[in-house]
This record gives sequence, C-alpha cells and structure tokens, in this order.
Amino acid sequence: MVTEESLSLTSRDWLKALATGERKRLLGSALCGVLAGSQTIIILVGLAWLIDQLIVHGQSPSSLLSIFALLAGCVLLRAAFQWGHETLSLEASLRIRQRARAQLLDKLSALGPVWLTSQHSGALANQVVEHIDALEGYFARFYPQLRITLCLPLLILAVAGWLDYLVALFLLLSAPLIPLFMALVGMGAERLNRDQFVAVSRLSAHFIDRVRGMTTLQLFGRTKTAQQDVWYATDHYRRLSMRTLRLAFLSSAVLEFFSSVAIAVVAMYVGFGLLGYIEYGPSSSLTLFSGLTVLLLAPEFFQPLRTLSQHYHDRAAALGAAESVVNILNQPAVVAKESDLSVLSASSAIVLVDASVAYASRGHVIGPISLRVLRGEVVALSGASGSGKSTLLALLAGFVAPSTGECRRQVNHQYAWLDQQPCLLHGSLIDNLRLASPAATHEEMISALNRAGFGPLLAQLPEGLETLIGERGVGLSGGQAQRLALARIYLSQAPLLLLDEPTARLDLDTEQFVIKALLELAHEGRTLVIATHHPAVIAVARRHFTFEQGKLVEVLT
Amino acid sequence: MSAIYRDFRPWLLLLIQRRRRFVLGALLVWVTLLAGIALLGLSGWFITASALTGIALAAGIPARLDVYVPGGGIRFFALVRTVARYIERLYNHNTVLTLLADLRYRVFGYLTQLSDARLHGERASDWLSRLTADIDTLDNFYLRILVPPVVALLGVMAVSLFVAIWLPGVALLMAVALGLLWLLVTLLAAGWGFSQSFQQVVDQQSLRRLVVDQVQASAELISYQSSRWHRALITHQEAQAFSNQRQLGRKAALLNCLVTSVSGLLVVAVLWLGSTAFSQQMVTAPIAVMAVLIALGMNEAFMALPASFVKLGASYAAVRRLNQLTDEPDAYTPTAEFPGNAMPAICTHQLSLHYAQTLQPALSNIDFKLPAGKRAVITGNSGAGKSSLAGVLMGRLKATQGEVGVGGVTPWQLSADSRAVHLAMLTQQVDLFDASLAENLRIADPTASDVTLWQVLGAVALNEWAEQLPQGLSTAVGEKGQQLSGGQARRLALARLLLTNPQVVILDEPFAGVDLKTARHIAASLDQWLAKRTAIFFIHQVSSLSLLPGVEYHWHLYAGKLNQCRFND
Repeated sequence: MVTEESLSLTSRDWLKALATGERKRLLGSALCGVLAGSQTIIILVGLAWLIDQLIVHGQSPSSLLSIFALLAGCVLLRAAFQWGHETLSLEASLRIRQRARAQLLDKLSALGPVWLTSQHSGALANQVVEHIDALEGYFARFYPQLRITLCLPLLILAVAGWLDYLVALFLLLSAPLIPLFMALVGMGAERLNRDQFVAVSRLSAHFIDRVRGMTTLQLFGRTKTAQQDVWYATDHYRRLSMRTLRLAFLSSAVLEFFSSVAIAVVAMYVGFGLLGYIEYGPSSSLTLFSGLTVLLLAPEFFQPLRTLSQHYHDRAAALGAAESVVNILNQPAVVAKESDLSVLSASSAIVLVDASVAYASRGHVIGPISLRVLRGEVVALSGASGSGKSTLLALLAGFVAPSTGECRRQVNHQYAWLDQQPCLLHGSLIDNLRLASPAATHEEMISALNRAGFGPLLAQLPEGLETLIGERGVGLSGGQAQRLALARIYLSQAPLLLLDEPTARLDLDTEQFVIKALLELAHEGRTLVIATHHPAVIAVARRHFTFEQGKLVEVLT
Repeated sequence: MSAIYRDFRPWLLLLIQRRRRFVLGALLVWVTLLAGIALLGLSGWFITASALTGIALAAGIPARLDVYVPGGGIRFFALVRTVARYIERLYNHNTVLTLLADLRYRVFGYLTQLSDARLHGERASDWLSRLTADIDTLDNFYLRILVPPVVALLGVMAVSLFVAIWLPGVALLMAVALGLLWLLVTLLAAGWGFSQSFQQVVDQQSLRRLVVDQVQASAELISYQSSRWHRALITHQEAQAFSNQRQLGRKAALLNCLVTSVSGLLVVAVLWLGSTAFSQQMVTAPIAVMAVLIALGMNEAFMALPASFVKLGASYAAVRRLNQLTDEPDAYTPTAEFPGNAMPAICTHQLSLHYAQTLQPALSNIDFKLPAGKRAVITGNSGAGKSSLAGVLMGRLKATQGEVGVGGVTPWQLSADSRAVHLAMLTQQVDLFDASLAENLRIADPTASDVTLWQVLGAVALNEWAEQLPQGLSTAVGEKGQQLSGGQARRLALARLLLTNPQVVILDEPFAGVDLKTARHIAASLDQWLAKRTAIFFIHQVSSLSLLPGVEYHWHLYAGKLNQCRFND
C-alpha cells in the first residue's frame, strides 16, 4: 500500500525531488553560467583597459595586438561556457522529464482500470504529455538562472569595489533592494501569471465550449451570434487584463529603471569625478580605465535578475503543471500488486478468501466473499446493474486490491479480459493483437483472426494485418471490434477468462457468434468467469452466482 | 518553401492587418532599444571626454567641457528607456490580445461551416484538444517572430547610419556583420530547426496517442501482462522525441553562442578600427569609445531571435492543423429554401451513406415514407445508424447514394438559415453551454420572455426544480452542463427545442435518463407541441415505445438497414 508520506506530496516538494535527481548537471549548468558571466566581466575590464591604453597612454593598436587577440579569445571562451550552460541544463531537463513521466505512468498503472474509467483519458494524456513538458523551462532555464542570480552580482560587486568603492557602495545599497524587487517582481509576475492563467483558461474554456456545441448552434442557426460572442468575450478579457497588466508591467519597468539609472548615475559620477568636480572619496583616483569599467559593469550587475524575471513564467507554468500531476501522484493505489497474490494449488484457477472491496470515496462495496473457481469451470455472475458484478470481476482480475481478505490467483499467469467495449489501440491490427501476445507471429495472428470470424473482413483489407484501425485508420463497428477482442483471447492462450457482459452491445449475428465462441473456449478447458444477463450464457455455465442484497449467492439448478 | 509560405500567408496577413498597431508597436520596441544604446554610448562618450578634459586640466592646459548637454542627455535616455519599455510592453500586449480576438473570430467562422461528419468524426477530440493551443501559437507569433526581426533590422540600420557620420568604415563593418548575423539567426535558423521543431509537435501527438492507449487499454494490459511491452513502446517513442528535442536544443544553443561570439568579436573589431582611426587622428577619442559601446549595446536586439526562429516549424505545424480545418472538400453554400409553411412529408429512396475510412456503409438502401403531419418511431441499437439517418434527414450529412425528400426538397440543399427555421432536432448528445439556464434556453429564441421560459420548463417538468434554485433562471449550468444531471440536461435541451416553431422534428431519445412519471409528463407536452408537425422519434429501448404519443409508423434500424415493423400499441 502507499505510505502516508507520498500521499501528501506537494508540487514544490516534487519539483525539488526531481531537481535533486539531476543535481550535478543543474549545478554544472549554473557554474558554466557564472563562468560565462565572469568572462563577460573580464571582457569588459579588458575593453576598458584597452581603451585607456589606446587613448590616455597613446599606445598604438598594433602594439596591443596580443591583448586584442586575448579579448577575442575571451569572447569565444564565453561562448563555450554559454554552450555548456545551455546544453547541460537542456540535458538535465530532458532527463528530469523522462523520470517524471515514468513516475506518472507507473502511477497510472497502479491506479488501474477502475480508477482510470472514472477519468477523461484525454485529460490524463494532457497531464502525461503536455504538463510534463511544461516542466522544461523551469529546469532548463529558471532553476540554473536562480543560482546564477545569487552568485554573479556578488562577483561584479567585488570587481567594482576593487576599482571604486563608492560605485560598489551604490550598487551595494541597491543590493538589498534586489531581493526586495525580486520579491516584488516575483509577486507581480506570479500574480500576473496566476491571474492570466485563470483568465486565459476560462476564456479558452468559453471558446471550446462554443466549438463543442457547434452542432447545436448550427441547428438553431445561431453561429453568427456565437462568432460575435467569441470576439466580444476575448475583447472583454483584453480590456480587463489590460487593467491588471498596467500594474504588473511596473515590476519589469522597475528593473529596467534600475539598470538605466545605474548607468546614468555611474556615468555622471565618473564623468564629474574625472573632471575633478568631486572632492571626496575615491573619485580623485578615478581613471578612464576604472571609470569605464564600472560604467560597463553597472548594467551587468542587474542583468542576471532581469534574465530571471524573463524566465519567471517558466516557473509559474511548472508549478501549475506540477500541481495537477501531484494530484494524481497523491491518489492511493488501487491495483493489487503481484506480490500480494498468494500461491494456489494447481487445481484451482482463482480463489477468494473473505475478500471485500471498499473504495476511499464510496466506502464498502462488496464482500466479504469466499469463492473457489476450479480449473476448467464456467461460472456465470448475474444480478441487477450496480449490484457489484463488475466490482467482483475487477477484484478477480486484480484491478482492485481486496481491502480485507485475500485473492489468490496463479502467479505469473495471463488471463484474458473482455468487456462490452473492447479497447482498440491507435495502430495496426498487429499492434492490437500484440497487446495480448507481444511475441505472436503473423501466422498465429491470422489464424486467431480467422477463428474469431474476422477472416472475411481481413480479406477485404488491402494492407492486411498492417491496416491501421481507429482514429488514424479504418473505423470498426462494435461487432467487428468485439471479434478482434475475441481474436486476442485465441492468441493469448490465457487459461482464465474474465468477461464483463461481453454480449451486451452486440448485434444479433455477433452475439450468436460470441456465445458460440465462449462455449468452444470452455470446451478447450479454459476457465471462464462471466458477468452476464444472457440466458443462453447462463445456461451453459456450470455454476451460476447472483448478487442478492449485496451478497453473492449460488443459484443451484 | 513556397508551400510553407502559402500556408502561413492568410494568418500573417491577419496578424498585420492592424497595420498601424504593428508599426507603432515595432517602433516602440525600436525606441526602447535605441534609448538603451544611446544611453550606453553617450555615457561612454561623456566619461572619455571628461577623462581627457580632466587630464588636460591637470596638466595645466586650458580645456572646457559642456557637462550639461551630455548630462541632460544621459538622464533623458535613461528616462526614455524606462518609459518606452513600459509603454511598449503594455501596447504590444494590448495588440496581442486584440489579435487573439481576431484569430478566434476567424477560426470560429471556419468552424461554423463544418459538417457533422467533421464535427463528430473520430478525429474530433484530437483537433479540439489542440485548437486553443494552436491559436495561441499563432498569437505568440506576433511578439516572437514578427516584431523582433523588424526591430533588429531597423536597429542595425539606424546604428550604422549614425556611426557612419564619423566612422564610415566601422559603420560598414557593423552593417555587414550584423546584417549577416540577422540572416543567420532568422532565415537560416528557421530552416535549420524547421524539420525538428515540426517533428516535435508530431512526436507529442504520437506520445499522446500511446498514453491514451495505455489509459484506455489498462484492463487488457494488466490481464494479458503486456504492460511492459506497451511501456517499452512509450519509452521508445519518448526516447525518439527526446533525441529530436536534444538536437533542436543544441542547435538553439549553438545559435545563441553564435550571437554572443559575433557581437563580442564585433565589439573588439570596432575597437580595433576605431582606435586605428583615432591614432591616425581621423576621429576623436570620445566618438571612438562611443562607437565601441554602441556595438556592445546591439547585442540586445539579437538575443531572443535564435530561440524563436529555430522553432518556426512548430508554428508551421499549428498553421497546418488550422488550415486543415478550413479545407472542407465540399464547402459549397446551399441556397434552397423550404417550401411554405405546410406540413411536409418525409421520404427516402435507396438512401445509402458511406463514411470515408469505414469498411461498411453506415446506412444502406433505406426506403421509407412518412406522410405529412404523421409521427414515426425508428428503433435500433447504438451503432445501428440512427444518428447517421437523423443527420441525413436534417440535411447535416450528404447521402452517398439515393434520394431524400423533406417536403419535396433535398435537405442538404437547404440553406443553413432555412434548415434552422424549419427543421429541428434533439440530438443524441445534448450540448449545453457554460452559461445560465435562461441563456441556454434563449439560444433557441433570443426574444423569449421569462414567462415563456417558465412555460417550456414546465412542459419538461423542470419548473419545480428551477423554482427551488436560489438564482432561478440565472443559475449557471456549468461547463458542458455539468451542474445538471444527465436527465436534467436532456430535459433542458428538450425545453429549448420547444421554443422553436419547426415543421419537421427529430427527437433522439427524448426520454433517456428520466423516470416514468416524468416521461409521461413530457410525452403529454410533446403530444401537444407536435400537433401539425411531422416528427420522427429515435429510440434505443423498445420499452419506452408505449410512451410515444400518436405514433403511427414504426421502423427498425439494424446495421444500417431499415425494416418495417408491425406497429402494436
């Protein structure tokens, strides 16, 4: 069972745990970023020094050729560090997403069919694909940049302090403002992102709502009005959000302001200092070199923070996505684990010992039930809809773990599952048959399809087994799909068959065919447990159980 | 290449159709860029001039420097930079949101033309799930792809021209180097990353399908113990997608390195040329320094370009999908009008319908005749073809073969307006909108009074329930009507239908999800409303046949074929 700890996972914890798995790469990326930043410092210092030498000291450019070459080398080195910074975080983000997706897919397997049918599969696919991909920017950009922002300004401050402590003091005084503004920007950006996120998704929902109801709009001749509505709704949203944006953009304006003002203040200070207008402090020792350097460093001091604020939406997107993923990860597992199964004597196919099922949401559903199905038996289960047949079948199949008691099945044995809506994979007939037997040959597949009465249809298909079915290919009717599912059973050789109303939605021909096929399977010695209403199916069952007032009763004939 | 342009063209035209906003927005970004460069350049000029004046003064050489003009300039540019950035962001976001409205309006307009086959085809969930994301991609196009390169190019031109006043050689170098860089990070970057960024979207869809498979087939995967096999498929697909993303990410990183290298080397080169000119006394020192700092500032215009352009293929994928929605093969506008207000008869002759991509026809050789003003019931299992037949009779689907006459007219040749007025249908799957009860009802008749709304609610026995609601008719029904039970939603949809005044009515499962007492009440209301209309009921459960009021004909639909049934009351 799942521990309490994992059930109360928060999105922040989850992101942190994911980052820990790739700590080395993420740190390496941040380190490369800091190194690239320090190359920028070296380049700027070098530029100022060169300018000073060329102009004040009257050196000729050719005598400084080696310094020029060195500077060009630094430019290339900076590019190399930048490459390291970007590719390392890219790799980390890819690996993290791979791990996160695996974790989520494992969870979906552990939640099993009972939980999954209550969910919208498209929404789940969104979470597994889009939401996991939404983590990309956070790990590839925001996370390393946050570390860079903590280091690089200090480095710049040190260099500036060495050159002119007043400028450093000015930058230092604004330094306590940085966390403040970071918080401000953070809050601004976070609120902006959250508000925008909510508003945008509401607006998108409005749009999709109207698109989804297009049939109705067409039937009532209201498409023109709805089209106008779409424009007005979006425009209304625009006017509303412009109001909040006016405030939210102030945070980015403040950052812009700081870096512009830093340049202006430093330029004025250095200029007047060089002219000898300032009598105090270190300004008397200012040179063109030190003055230009601090001027060029001033905007660099704020640059990491500005970059961080640009990546802020990555963080918001990741947090939003993480929240929805963590919601799933926090669901208690439903499916029985293989290790929970006890070993069974060879003569029994499946045994329930005082097993009962309770769901967290609905409480006690069925049980306690004790049942022994022998090998080769045909067992029918009947009862009104909602009486618990499907839950019992899910329990036998291991889709739900018994909350009390035991379910014993032959370990490592395949069993076949067939319900009223057989699942078709997006792919070829081969893919759909491999589902039951990944190693089956084409000949085996064809013979299984023939046995299932799919042969005439197969003959019509020009691409044979390679024919794509489902969304991207040929549509199959309910009857044809059920024959395909039957072919899976033939292919699998599974000794135990669990069937949930296999004939409920079929046309007469297919219904007759499926019943005949089930009888054949029983004759082959396979064990069948069938939830059904169909009298013909019940008639051939060796044993017949029915649910009466929540209790499983054997009907004796 | 030209095919790609053709796909993009209509959308590009839409994005720049608000020409004044586009020009002004780009201009604001340009001003922000230039203010930053001017601030840096002027500061460099000022410091150098100050240094030289200071040295001269210290050496006892009389020298003067006007500090007020450059000082004022520096403060001015610092202010312009800040203010322009703020206004630019505000203005361009306003544009983006306006464009979002335009884009949605346009796409919705296309969607209103779609036929039933397209709206409810198997692929519907696929395009619907991507629709808003695709529109957003196009919307982002404006700020990522359209504005920045224009600004960068204008910036290069302005800066080169400015520097050319003093240093034409340096200006030429800047123009050529940055011009080439511009080409590299826009057109070439787009081409270089095109197939991979396009593939990224394709990969995402394949992965999505596999995940949907895992979710939907989880019972089979567990029982046949093939989870591991399927998981290997996912892992394989993901590995492929990631290797593609890795390549794309590396290309973007390489282009970023190119931008910093070229702009860095350009600065060094400008310093070399500038100082050479200075040593030959062709230019003053402050101007040479200014040129260097201007070159340094140009980096900003190029920084964001590679990452945007290398992903152009992803935008193309979005455009392609949106275009696919619009290329309906038979997008003709039917114009026939419904004849008069008389009660029409319905008849079909050898009617067949065959969907593309299916092996068997949905309907084959259907013959029936329903006299004017009569009511019929057609029974059949799900999948027997009821929805298809209803779609053909309502003119929403075109028969593959055979003839259909509703009041003597072929229904799919009727104009959309005429169909909406004279033909009405309760669909199998009812659509309620995320709005109030009243708004949902008024879709049928925007002019209906509250009294009328209460009347139709009474006809479907929803009035007592609605009266209990604290907000009455203003109660929101939620997205897809989720605040209502399935039965309530159907009844509300039926009530909506009762507000119209059609000649032909099709009711698909009018009693689904309601108890017997309510069903009787609804049947009585329907009996009254259906007087003087021609009506067909589509019913799944034969048990509810006895509820149908005044029905005189009964057919049974089975696997796309229609059989006459003896009608026993």
